[in-house]
Amino acid sequence: MHRSPGNVSCHGKRVVAPKRCPSARSRLLRAGALSLSLALAGLPAQSADDASAVPAQEWPSAARDTANTRYAPLTDIDAHNAARLKEVFRFSTGVQRGHEAAPIVGGGMMFVVTPFPNVVYGFALVPGSVAPRWTYAPEPARASQGVACCDVVNRGAAYADGRVFFNTLDGQTIALDAASGRQLWRTQLGDISRGETITMAPLVVKDRVLVGNSGGELGVRGWIAALDAASGRTLWRAYSTGPDADVLIGPAFRPFYASDRGKDLGVRSWPPDAWRIGGGTVWGFLSYDPELDLVYHGTANPGPWNPEQRPGDNKWTAGIFARRPSTGEAIWFYQWSPHDLHDYDGVNENVLVDLAIGGRVRKVLLHADRNGYLYVVDRASGEVLSADAFTYINTTRGVDLDSGRLRYDPTKEPSVGKTVRDICPASPGGKDWQPSAWSPRTQRLYLPQQNLCQDAMTSTVSHIPGTPFVGADLTIKPGPGGYRGEFAAWDPVARRKAWSIRERFPVWSGALVTAGDVAFYGTMDGWFKAVDARSGVPLWQFQCGSGVIGQPVSYRGVDGKQYVAVLSGVGGWPGAIVAGDLDARDPTAGGGFANAMRDLPAASPKGGTLHVFALP
Amino acid sequence: MPDVLHGAGPHADHVIALWRVALLICGGVFAAVLIAFAAALLRAPRARRADPALDESPAARRRHWRIVAASTGASLVLLFVLIGASVWTDRVLARVDLHGAQHIEVTAHQWWWELRYDDAEVARIFSTANELHVPVGRPVVLTLRADDVIHSLWLPNLAGKKDLVPGRPTTHVLRADVAGEFRGPCAEFCGAQHAGMVLTLIAEPQAQYDAWADAQRGSAPNAEAPQLARGRHLFEHGSCALCHTVVGTDAAGKMAPDLTHLGSRRTIAAGVLPNTPQTLAAWISDPQRHKPGSNMPPAALPPDDLQALVAYLGTLQ
Amino acid sequence: MSSHCPDARHVAALTLLLAIALLSACEREQRRFQAPAQQPERNAFDTNEGKRLFRWFNCNGCHGTGGGGAYGPALSDERWRYGHTLDDIVATIRDGRPNGMPAFGGRLRDDQLRQLAAYVRSLSGQLHTDVAPSRNDAITSGEPESRRARQATRPDPAVSGARP
Repeated sequence: MHRSPGNVSCHGKRVVAPKRCPSARSRLLRAGALSLSLALAGLPAQSADDASAVPAQEWPSAARDTANTRYAPLTDIDAHNAARLKEVFRFSTGVQRGHEAAPIVGGGMMFVVTPFPNVVYGFALVPGSVAPRWTYAPEPARASQGVACCDVVNRGAAYADGRVFFNTLDGQTIALDAASGRQLWRTQLGDISRGETITMAPLVVKDRVLVGNSGGELGVRGWIAALDAASGRTLWRAYSTGPDADVLIGPAFRPFYASDRGKDLGVRSWPPDAWRIGGGTVWGFLSYDPELDLVYHGTANPGPWNPEQRPGDNKWTAGIFARRPSTGEAIWFYQWSPHDLHDYDGVNENVLVDLAIGGRVRKVLLHADRNGYLYVVDRASGEVLSADAFTYINTTRGVDLDSGRLRYDPTKEPSVGKTVRDICPASPGGKDWQPSAWSPRTQRLYLPQQNLCQDAMTSTVSHIPGTPFVGADLTIKPGPGGYRGEFAAWDPVARRKAWSIRERFPVWSGALVTAGDVAFYGTMDGWFKAVDARSGVPLWQFQCGSGVIGQPVSYRGVDGKQYVAVLSGVGGWPGAIVAGDLDARDPTAGGGFANAMRDLPAASPKGGTLHVFALP
Repeated sequence: MPDVLHGAGPHADHVIALWRVALLICGGVFAAVLIAFAAALLRAPRARRADPALDESPAARRRHWRIVAASTGASLVLLFVLIGASVWTDRVLARVDLHGAQHIEVTAHQWWWELRYDDAEVARIFSTANELHVPVGRPVVLTLRADDVIHSLWLPNLAGKKDLVPGRPTTHVLRADVAGEFRGPCAEFCGAQHAGMVLTLIAEPQAQYDAWADAQRGSAPNAEAPQLARGRHLFEHGSCALCHTVVGTDAAGKMAPDLTHLGSRRTIAAGVLPNTPQTLAAWISDPQRHKPGSNMPPAALPPDDLQALVAYLGTLQ
Repeated sequence: MSSHCPDARHVAALTLLLAIALLSACEREQRRFQAPAQQPERNAFDTNEGKRLFRWFNCNGCHGTGGGGAYGPALSDERWRYGHTLDDIVATIRDGRPNGMPAFGGRLRDDQLRQLAAYVRSLSGQLHTDVAPSRNDAITSGEPESRRARQATRPDPAVSGARP
């Protein structure tokens, strides 16, 4: 890296936004601030929304806090006693598809959302209770199962102010009274006849429920919307493609890099009308920084996967937006993968952390992208401070930090009728939706990831609403080394892995880390594991009976003990071979994953169970 | 049949000139050979009656060998003339100036031609089918691709013949120096309607070409009148939209010609029928009658609906 | 020499045969395209048209390029939720099914539905080797249809109507 993170590109380069160049007086002020912060550099970095702001007995949103740390400030379970963890509660959800949700804890209760038909269970956290206090069945349209690309999953609910909010596969957001399970309101946001569904876990920010859609594989135009938490009324909706007015880009918009600046780029970087069916859905986790008052969200891949049908940068897909939660207006944007060639969605979570980099504390976000790079981005300005490979990559040759652009390797570029082999990482990326966790104590990002490559062939595809709009056939296979999954600890300042554990199958579950320095994750062959967060030494594991692809959580129960909860039930994109009974004799089945997961059916049956663990 | 010896651009002109040189030389050689053959036939009886034991005189033998040597020498010279002419033609054609060339991607399908006019600004890219407009005097670089089987583009008045092979994109250059309408039939047997796959190339002055291109970039107009709205509804929700595109509507099928500006074309079905409301209605109701074997299925529409559809298609200028 | 000269009767016979042969050439081959697919399962053209339509209408996106399944169920195995006969499959494509199969009835003609249904049956090896398609223009997606072993057909208990 030839430029230090403290410089801005003023000198020697044409500046489009001259206000970035500091004057002499402001330079003096900055120097003063720098020396102060150097003194402070000895302090451990904070997360934007201090994890301790969320009470220890709660886990109110899928990522626990708006900074998305998934860090539980509980010390009962540690490296010495984790081996004694026991399952203390088990509940069968009655659904046998992929369980990707996080059990949500708030108001003395736990809320679990199942995959379609998205039944919600409300458990009272009183010792001895074995059944949910209430059950809510939203009865979403059955036809929505036919337009869900990657199993009929749901990633969890959100709890705020005595209400529980969740999304259904057929595109509704529903609010329930947390204590009774009574429906308060429901709002229809998506249209399944156009292939639109919702699978993501909502985030509640300033009395607004933030929701994004799914369906990029069917040519659905992506959006993020804010609903009023009390009434369910839609307050604003920002699209991911189209004219600036639709994308809510206005005078406050200040992208850091030149290639993201210009009028109506969401139209001009596409062939005519292609942006209307251009994807960019918002199905990942949302983060929020209350100090900067910015919501961060990613946009998914452009549609179709066949890039020759959509020349241009395809804004604003495969990127990250920073928006104001009150109005939705965009403040900055960065495109991880302009003119995406390999289905590298940009929706992976953004973990908000304050890190000491280059001698001063910077407010950054950590983002492990599908394209295989671990980005450290200044979350106030959108400047990329570093981007380092966390998996084997041959599709690109790094990120040019001057222009911000990803440098593609042309030999891996798909062309209709041509088979391109050994594309690494494969379309699921170095890491897919499975969320990472950050420990302020160890200063490590815990990354569940995969190690996969693929052969691919693109083809021309028609857009027929409600049917797949992809134009690519893939065969996914293990990456170099032959192992398909990995759980690693990433050091964002040293920009490399501190340790990693190889796994047979992709690690498709979320990560959890606690103040007791224990990290948890699950494997697709059913093991829920605890490892030492500092060294990676395995401490404990439990066989759940079906693959674990859910997000583990930890909270303090009413009895003061620390509990860990997770959902098992294999599925998701890699698990569809089991959850959907696919036929692996066709290696392209399941979006190419059937080829890579032929041994999964023998390793994991279908399932759907909530497990809760504690020390005896 | 087009007059293939009428060149309208530098490529065709040079190739036709080369062809004429070759015709002259080969024709001359052919004539000379025939004359020599005839002479040999006429002389033959005399040779038979002569005494085989008699040797020819040394003078006669020298004369004969000189004739052979001269003929061989002349043949060699003429061969080198031909090689020289061919190489020279290649060099001239390779040096045709490509500055300011319009790039067009031609994809051949069974049995129609897909044309995509490229542009540095991607929002100015547009697609059309079967009718290729080029500006007079400006070079055109065609990227040739095929989707299914091997086709061949043959524009004898403009540029030679080049195959479009699936999986192997290639480039072809041409320039029209004269305005006019030229035929480009498919020249590699590609299935039942190989003969019904004609690319029409229209060369027009730059101003007219620009007007045409600007019109092609526009979306389809809104169809508000009841009959037109019905026609559009039938298009989007019936079978048409499964295969055809009309920019500005929900129809985004990519397997059949882009119809956004169908009304601006002189023919339909890749040159098989002239473009009039009557032929359009006949084509839609029974395509197999006019182009048997083509991939377009008949649309079983009641007469009112057919009229509405044709009326709607008529607005796609 | 005279014994090798053909006599008048031989000449007449040969001329007659030649005339008949020439007359038979008057019957040109008439091929009917897109004739109604009466028995599409016994017709290689119809089955291969079905394969083309399978891609053209994005069936491969939900059901896998080789029928292995993706968003929708596998078509290459022995499990049939809504019936395995040609007419059952035509009804499935035409009318849709409750768990997400869209209805194509208003948009596809009967011929096309039958061609598609015949192709779908070839994915599980139900068709004769000389009728089923034997090559792919796409990336390898399993054995060619003509080489697939014929799957038994059994109803899939886990679906059609019941809440999972």
